[in-house]
Amino acid sequence: MAESIKLAYFMAVKEGASYLGGLLVTDTSGIPLDFRYTEPITPTHLQSILYGKSLEPHLKEEVIQKTLLKELKTPPDLFILSATELAGGWSGDAKCPVLAVQKSQEAPLVKVGTTFRAGPRDILLQLAEGAAPLRVMFAASVDAAAQEQAMAKLLEAGYHMDLTEPLERVTVALQSLVVKGS
Amino acid sequence: MFGRVRGAMADAAETLRRTFAGLPVVTVVPEPFHPGSRRGALLEVAPRPGLDPLAATGRGARLFREGVPSLALPPLVAKLQAEAGFASWGAEAEVVRMTPLEPGRAARVTVPPLPRQVRTLGRMEPPACPGTRRVAEPLARPGTRRLDPRLSEVSALAGLEVILGLPIPIRAEDIQRLPKGLWMRYSLQLVRGTGENVRNLEVLGLFRIPRKGVADLRHDPRQSRILVRLEASAVRAPREPFILARRKDDGALLSCFVEGS
Repeated sequence: MAESIKLAYFMAVKEGASYLGGLLVTDTSGIPLDFRYTEPITPTHLQSILYGKSLEPHLKEEVIQKTLLKELKTPPDLFILSATELAGGWSGDAKCPVLAVQKSQEAPLVKVGTTFRAGPRDILLQLAEGAAPLRVMFAASVDAAAQEQAMAKLLEAGYHMDLTEPLERVTVALQSLVVKGS
Repeated sequence: MFGRVRGAMADAAETLRRTFAGLPVVTVVPEPFHPGSRRGALLEVAPRPGLDPLAATGRGARLFREGVPSLALPPLVAKLQAEAGFASWGAEAEVVRMTPLEPGRAARVTVPPLPRQVRTLGRMEPPACPGTRRVAEPLARPGTRRLDPRLSEVSALAGLEVILGLPIPIRAEDIQRLPKGLWMRYSLQLVRGTGENVRNLEVLGLFRIPRKGVADLRHDPRQSRILVRLEASAVRAPREPFILARRKDDGALLSCFVEGS
């Protein structure tokens, strides 16, 4: 059933010198089931120097993401993050397929539900009639079989909701939390 | 036989010797060359009527100082020359006697051997080596301090009410994909629930939203979706099909939950 699928949307943002992240779990209608966020983390000047360029990936993957995943009572079916985060070489250890969804500029595929594999980890999915297909990018840890299962779940969820929209909602929520905190 | 041939050969040789031995030798003494010159006509000046007659006067070169004597050139004398050598060209032959070659004297030249060793010049004296001294004073050992670079642990906070406060878009389902019988039943329930004539209703969409806890609902016709604000009770509430319709006569929005399949 559609209600059994849980989608987890992860987003970590940098506001000033602080980092904070949020994890939104929704059903296939996009309705929130859970939302967790971290307190803002402000690395010291010395930590910024010692960690260098690895500071941000370390904070997002090792500190923020693991903390949020630990808080979930049941693991989600799909772990969705932004395409930028995934392209940056995501190396987290989620127990479910990790992927990114992005609106594409490609021509519509034949019919709704059609998929087109553009690469080993890059698949186009037609969700709506006449609309541009959705680009789905999987993390390197997701094998082909897991990709197929994930595509079926995405197709089912995409029938009811905009799969890319919840990430924007998490970003807005995190920004509002930063403003409220300051 | 051979004697006659030898005699004939000797006669012929004697004949040739006598023939060419009597040629006279003429020594040609070159005459000195005297260049000849001819005297040309003197320049004359013809006076023209109406003008004063021109008179040619000789003027000395005053470019030089006074007193510089002018050189008097000797008068040129013309003399006829004849080349006598051409006369004897075809008549007599001139015999040139060549000096026979003589053996020359040869001298032996000995090549001096190359020196086996060469002297090096300009060699510099080695620089004086400075003496080394040892500094026995050790540096003071610094004390070490430990600064933990690990990032502090963070805690996760629940923020469902924060995210529920944001408008949540819910996309309309494709009515064409529904079974026809089910859609007929939904239409009947819509008429019953709103009390309107089915011809006066325009269906805007079928949505699945929580049965309770919907605080606000707005229709987004451009993207055929609704934006809802939910309360905390909506999270656990069951999702039910919800039809949003517009009354054609006054444009008012009507809605009702319909029985799920």
